[in-house]
Amino acid sequence: MRAFLNVLVTALTMVAVVFNISLYNGFLDQAIHNMVTTDVAGGHYRAPEFDLLSPTEWEDQTFKTPGILSSLPSTDKAEVLLLQGHIFPNRRLFPVQLRGMEMQQTLLDLPFDKLEEWNAPIDDVIPIIIGKQMADKSHLKLGDYVVMKWRDRFGAVDALDVQVVDVVPLVNVRLDQGVVWLRLDHLRKITHREQEVSWIAVKQFQGAIANTEFQAPEILLKDILDMIKNDRRFAVIIWIILIFLAGISVFNTQYLNIFKRQREIGMLMAFGMPPARIVRLFTVEGSLAAISAVGVALVLGTIIFTWFQSVGLDVSHLSETNIPIRENIFLKIDPVEVILSAVIIVAIMIFVAWAPVRKISMLDATQALRGRAIT
Amino acid sequence: MKKNILKGFLCSAFLLTLIGFLLLPQRSQTEDTKAFRLLVEVDNNMWATTKYIDGRLIIDNGRRIRELAMESWMEGVTRSYSYYKSPPRERGTKMLKLDKKLWMYTPQTDRKILIAGHMLRQSMMGSDLSYEDMMEDEKLSEAYTGTIDGEEELEGVKTLVMTLKARKKTKTYQILKIWADPVRKIVLKQEAYAKSGKLLKLIYFREYRRVGNRLFPRKMVFHDMLKKNTQTTYMFDKIEFDVTIPKKYFSIRILKR
Repeated sequence: MRAFLNVLVTALTMVAVVFNISLYNGFLDQAIHNMVTTDVAGGHYRAPEFDLLSPTEWEDQTFKTPGILSSLPSTDKAEVLLLQGHIFPNRRLFPVQLRGMEMQQTLLDLPFDKLEEWNAPIDDVIPIIIGKQMADKSHLKLGDYVVMKWRDRFGAVDALDVQVVDVVPLVNVRLDQGVVWLRLDHLRKITHREQEVSWIAVKQFQGAIANTEFQAPEILLKDILDMIKNDRRFAVIIWIILIFLAGISVFNTQYLNIFKRQREIGMLMAFGMPPARIVRLFTVEGSLAAISAVGVALVLGTIIFTWFQSVGLDVSHLSETNIPIRENIFLKIDPVEVILSAVIIVAIMIFVAWAPVRKISMLDATQALRGRAIT
Repeated sequence: MKKNILKGFLCSAFLLTLIGFLLLPQRSQTEDTKAFRLLVEVDNNMWATTKYIDGRLIIDNGRRIRELAMESWMEGVTRSYSYYKSPPRERGTKMLKLDKKLWMYTPQTDRKILIAGHMLRQSMMGSDLSYEDMMEDEKLSEAYTGTIDGEEELEGVKTLVMTLKARKKTKTYQILKIWADPVRKIVLKQEAYAKSGKLLKLIYFREYRRVGNRLFPRKMVFHDMLKKNTQTTYMFDKIEFDVTIPKKYFSIRILKR
């Protein structure tokens, strides 16, 4: 029974460790995937001084699309213009980012079909799209009209009614919170910024271009990568705690084994078995738990992981944060990490199976036979 | 004979058309001159090279009313300095505008913050005025060209309704509409429009009183027309024109305790 419990605890530890690592991998993978497919792509060409965190400077940090980039096919680049603005839902001030997105582009996966379909002039009403979170916060819904205010290139204030032509689920929360999406041509027209962009997302680096700065995906994803890196540290701590608990369990069992089986050990010694051999015997017996645990973990893990991959982990509560994940996340199992974790766990288990039985080599056979060698 | 009659008719028609063409622009030109003159006279009332104001800003955001008391010294459109006297939370706050930069000093932090460029367009302390609105003091006749739309009676006063169009593309409000009293040479009401023609702000100039040889309102009431139930009243408790402003008021060194 004790041996079975040992095997079970070790197996569950292995499953938990692999689950923990795979969940972080899945989280990271999903976050990066969402960022890359909706915003980052293969990097951005931006004005050298552009800073997304300085909205008051956005309108000064635009540039005209360089020839080399404008000649790229729509599958390889997406032009974006970002400006400050305000909307007035229920006649209350709501500061927003006005993001103009090129309609022809297919590089980024953004559900803006309704903007593309708009073919009426924009003299009276401008079409906009907002994300679900933005719709909740601003109490706007599909078909609503609201006043939008902005400044043109010269600094003159302008305002017009806009109509919400679609409310879309955006997996990347950063493109949802406080963002109003417009067609690039519309935003350019109303702000007198012909051919201007704030950045151009490209499929891959196109070489250095004068008056622009290329921001590689690693730079654009830095905050999310740093955050995941930080979370990984916690994952390692959890990993250590789990291994420690499993190790203590095996260590205890082995210690109890020797205590309870003193007479058996004394008898083996009396029959002439060298202590080193007895130690090896007990170590192998103890290690069997770890080895069997690998098999049990494989069975348990397959069942648990298969079930988990069918439902995923709901992280919708994270939509209130800046983490670019809205949908359920799934495990990303890395075979190298799984094997490495299993090997480390087995090695530690063998060590904790061996450590307590070392005492045997110091036992006196007669005392052991009387059950008084270890008190 | 018939030929001569036709000739005479054609000549008369031509002459009449010519006279009409000559007269019409002249009339319009006269109207423009009249509008411009009125704007200049309004400016003469409202505008001075230097100004000292002891006033209050009463901000009503629909939920609560806050009152800020301050003293301001202004020089043209480029330089101004304000010192906030109350409420206790704002007491000691100073604002200095030099050209297109605005510094704000708060005694709580003992730091001066530069509010430059586009920050000037943000709402000032939750009011219906932006920093830009508050600090800008440009002559109407210099910033806008005016046309007279007609006459209208406003609160018992016969006013001229004028549409003003900005001379420069960079002017915040490209279109203004004013209701001016042609007798007293004052503005009673002003509407500021977006380029699209949407009404953005409504300002009432109330309780005109004589200050030296000028007429100046005791209060201006601002309404942000895109917001609901908000208004900001700028009370001019004391105002002096063409005052000598100590140089230190327009120095960054004044931004300390």
